[in-house]
Amino acid sequence: MKFARKSDIIIIAIVAAISVLTWFIYGNLYGHSGKYAEIYYRSELVKTVDLTTGEEGRFSLEQAPNVVFQLYKDGSIAFVQSDCPDKICVKSGRLHRVGEYAACIPNRIYIKILSEEKAGPEQPDIIIG
Amino acid sequence: MKKLTAVFLCAALLFCSGCGGIKKVPKQTRYQAEFLSLFDTITSLVGYAESKDDFTEASNQFRDKLEEYHKLYTIYEDFEGINNIKTINDMAGIEPVKVDRRIIELLEYSKEQYKLSRGTFNIALGSVLEIWHEYRETGINNPEEAQLPPMELLKKAAEHTNIDDIIIDVEASTVYLKDPLMRLDVGAVAKGYAVERVAEYMLELGIENLLISVGGNVRAIGGKLGGKGETSPWVVGIKNPDSNSRQAQLMSVSVKDLSVVSSGIYERYYTVDGRQYHHIIDPETLMPSEHYAQVTIICQDSGLADALSTAAFIMPIDEAKSFINSMDGVEACWVLKSGEQIYSEGFEQAVPSF
Repeated sequence: MKFARKSDIIIIAIVAAISVLTWFIYGNLYGHSGKYAEIYYRSELVKTVDLTTGEEGRFSLEQAPNVVFQLYKDGSIAFVQSDCPDKICVKSGRLHRVGEYAACIPNRIYIKILSEEKAGPEQPDIIIG
Repeated sequence: MKKLTAVFLCAALLFCSGCGGIKKVPKQTRYQAEFLSLFDTITSLVGYAESKDDFTEASNQFRDKLEEYHKLYTIYEDFEGINNIKTINDMAGIEPVKVDRRIIELLEYSKEQYKLSRGTFNIALGSVLEIWHEYRETGINNPEEAQLPPMELLKKAAEHTNIDDIIIDVEASTVYLKDPLMRLDVGAVAKGYAVERVAEYMLELGIENLLISVGGNVRAIGGKLGGKGETSPWVVGIKNPDSNSRQAQLMSVSVKDLSVVSSGIYERYYTVDGRQYHHIIDPETLMPSEHYAQVTIICQDSGLADALSTAAFIMPIDEAKSFINSMDGVEACWVLKSGEQIYSEGFEQAVPSF
């Protein structure tokens, strides 16, 4: 009997492939969970805010110092001040959920909530109203 | 040993056949794009493509097409070489304006909706809406000086809102406002109507699964793709109009090849003496309509959904319900100011929500 037959080698290769794949899928599904906000200025991503730190505070973009954001302890984020005429950005209120977004159109600033977690089928693809 | 080998081979076979099945269909990755430049609002696209470049190309095709409509339907901006709705307004009482057939189509459609909605939806209300717009902007920027427009002023403006004074010559492709003080405001329909036209265009380009939102006018093309290429309905979350509620979201609706539009009172408003005045104006009272906090319309055509969301917002609940129930394929949900939700007859069946 030889030490390893051809079929054994194939089996070993398959087992190795499956384990790599499982590890990969597992990592994608359950790895890095975490909500974060992306803030865009004139269509460029200029800031990413981790929403899971439990910290709170106010900040602005250097490109638009008159627009103020507030990060809350509960992981929500909002426009709280703006020099725009309609203040629709401020009235959009606090954004909590993945898929929520708000914008200050006159200042060309856009913010959206994302997650590194894979979306479940019931996770909204967009939130309106 | 042989048995074990067989088991492994079977597993391997299953595994490979699974792979093969996926490989035949090129892998579609989910992408999202937003832009802020059109219709004075946020446009958001969610779709699938084999590569980011492919998705960017499709998004640009969408944007270019939507921009054509933006330039035609705006009442605020001039564009060189284009006669748009602002041009028609500027030429009110002066002369007919030759326009693109897409303007003629929008205006004819809007006239039809005026009749169907018993006058609650009226694109000839511009002179009244202009006044509210001005007072709202002043009030937002100088809250201590916020005032309501005098009723006398509103009533005077309301004398110039007769929709029959919009003279459309289809053959010559011209529009003329007979009343020099009349102004068109297509804000309650233009976005939805444009979205429907651009959705048609995307279908022609062979796009099968795309979720479009232009300022909350949502149009779902197909459904969303699962990992194995299967499709399921898109999920549209609808915000709770009561922003103080701990429940941020009112409901989620599942839609495939349908449009969803929500009209509410919680973003475009201003405050006078501690009271909020929002932007949906009842043509009869000339004041903000006070029946609801939010109305959501679901039907296939995005233009219809947009127009109906205004009509269903202005009508009192009994009239609004029978109005929506009389139409096939249209469902609605009204949220009263108390928070109570009222559904059209088929809402819960037609639109699985959770």
